[in-house]
Amino acid sequence: MANWIPLWVHKLSSPPNFYRFAGTLRPWALALALLLGAVALYGGLVLAPADYQQGDAYRIIFIHVPCAWMGLFIYAVMAVASFISLVWRIKLAEVVAMESAPIGAAFTFITLVTGSLWGKPMWGTWWTWDARLTSELVLLFLYLGVIGLYHSFEDRRQGARAAAFLAIIGIINVPIVHFSVNWWNTLHQGSTVRILGPSKMSREMLWPLLTMMAATKCYYIASLFGRVRTDLLSLESGKDWVRQIAEAQGGASAASAGRAGAAERESQR
Amino acid sequence: MSHAPLAPACAAVLRRDLTLAWRRRGDIVMPVLYALIVTTLFPFALGPEDALLQRIAGGAVLVTMLLAMLLALDAMFRSDIEDGSLEQLMLSPQPLALMMGMKILAHWITTALPLIVIAPLLAGMLHLPTAVMPVLIYALLLATPLLSLLGAVLVALTAGTRRSGMLLALMLLPLCVPVVIFAAGAVAAAQQGLPWLAPIAWLGAALAMALVLAPLACAAALRIALDA
Repeated sequence: MANWIPLWVHKLSSPPNFYRFAGTLRPWALALALLLGAVALYGGLVLAPADYQQGDAYRIIFIHVPCAWMGLFIYAVMAVASFISLVWRIKLAEVVAMESAPIGAAFTFITLVTGSLWGKPMWGTWWTWDARLTSELVLLFLYLGVIGLYHSFEDRRQGARAAAFLAIIGIINVPIVHFSVNWWNTLHQGSTVRILGPSKMSREMLWPLLTMMAATKCYYIASLFGRVRTDLLSLESGKDWVRQIAEAQGGASAASAGRAGAAERESQR
Repeated sequence: MSHAPLAPACAAVLRRDLTLAWRRRGDIVMPVLYALIVTTLFPFALGPEDALLQRIAGGAVLVTMLLAMLLALDAMFRSDIEDGSLEQLMLSPQPLALMMGMKILAHWITTALPLIVIAPLLAGMLHLPTAVMPVLIYALLLATPLLSLLGAVLVALTAGTRRSGMLLALMLLPLCVPVVIFAAGAVAAAQQGLPWLAPIAWLGAALAMALVLAPLACAAALRIALDA
């Protein structure tokens, strides 16, 4: 009955199957991200009323907060994928974990930049050593550490395993970032959007925020799938399915280039 | 075939590492000299006002210690990897985590202990009040093993790579932020005459957890980094 779900997941974790699956899903995710993003921006920048206290300057929230959520969310995805890759040695999980890291780092970086742009008119300073800001900066450093460790190994799969281990160790920072506004009462405002119970935010402001959140999730999926597809091709170059794709797409010249690349990769081992 | 029991094996690893360190005494002195030099830079950089130096003394000593330990960490497994004795240790029938624990202990004794011994001197150079000195020592006694344990896991992860110095800093510093916060918090609280036991207790709790988990993580990291 429900047997097809594990079966489907098993099939999906093989590189050629995932390559095709990601290829079909990616354009849809990208289109959905652009559509939702446009709707959210219109709702947030045009339809939503100005804040009674912060005026129009608060509107950066529609970029800042979804990016901050994504920074943490992607870290969690990366850690889970890392765990799977370390325990079950699934190649796809390694690739997902390692290709998530740069996207998460980018979202965290955007969060820090938009936060400081927001902080200047509101708090009168670009940067303050407030608990949430500092822990967000630490999150960025963790991402950079994972990326750095991954690239410092010559063997990519070995580097992925070591970096996955680091990603799991670093997960202790995620709850610290999330709860920092509740634990330490500093300059950063408390959380206003609740999963359980009503949010402390007006409806006109809430829906663009949640729409933007959906848009960033879709963008993450699109971006991740694109990166994973490229990575799988280079990781599996020399396998038959890659050669078939190369032959189907680029004709003879691309196929011979693929074979040459594969031969080169083999000789490097 | 009978294996050596655990206790003698642990003692042997510890004795070997300590002997190796003692034969190269110059390496033990290096972090101490480094900490001394970094501390003398603070009055030059910030100006010699007593009040200012007194205010930053606790934090400056802590950060200096951290950096000195970071420099020493890099060499933790290097000679063992070069002469192959680390592989022998991994092949030995004794649990690798326990052996790693002993290596970390030896490393703490040879790097952190000399630093703690000169910590009052460094703090005195920055005019830390004598009454606060014991709190600084308590904080260091709990914080430095934590840094050794955390650092050992990360050094083990980079054991398979050739260039690791800068990368180690990038990996370790985010993870040791809480350690620095609590250790410096205890010293600052003592300096202001506030109760300082709570941050010390947090450090103790973290150390208890790290003592159990870090050797296991270190062993796992080493297996990841070295199976090629």
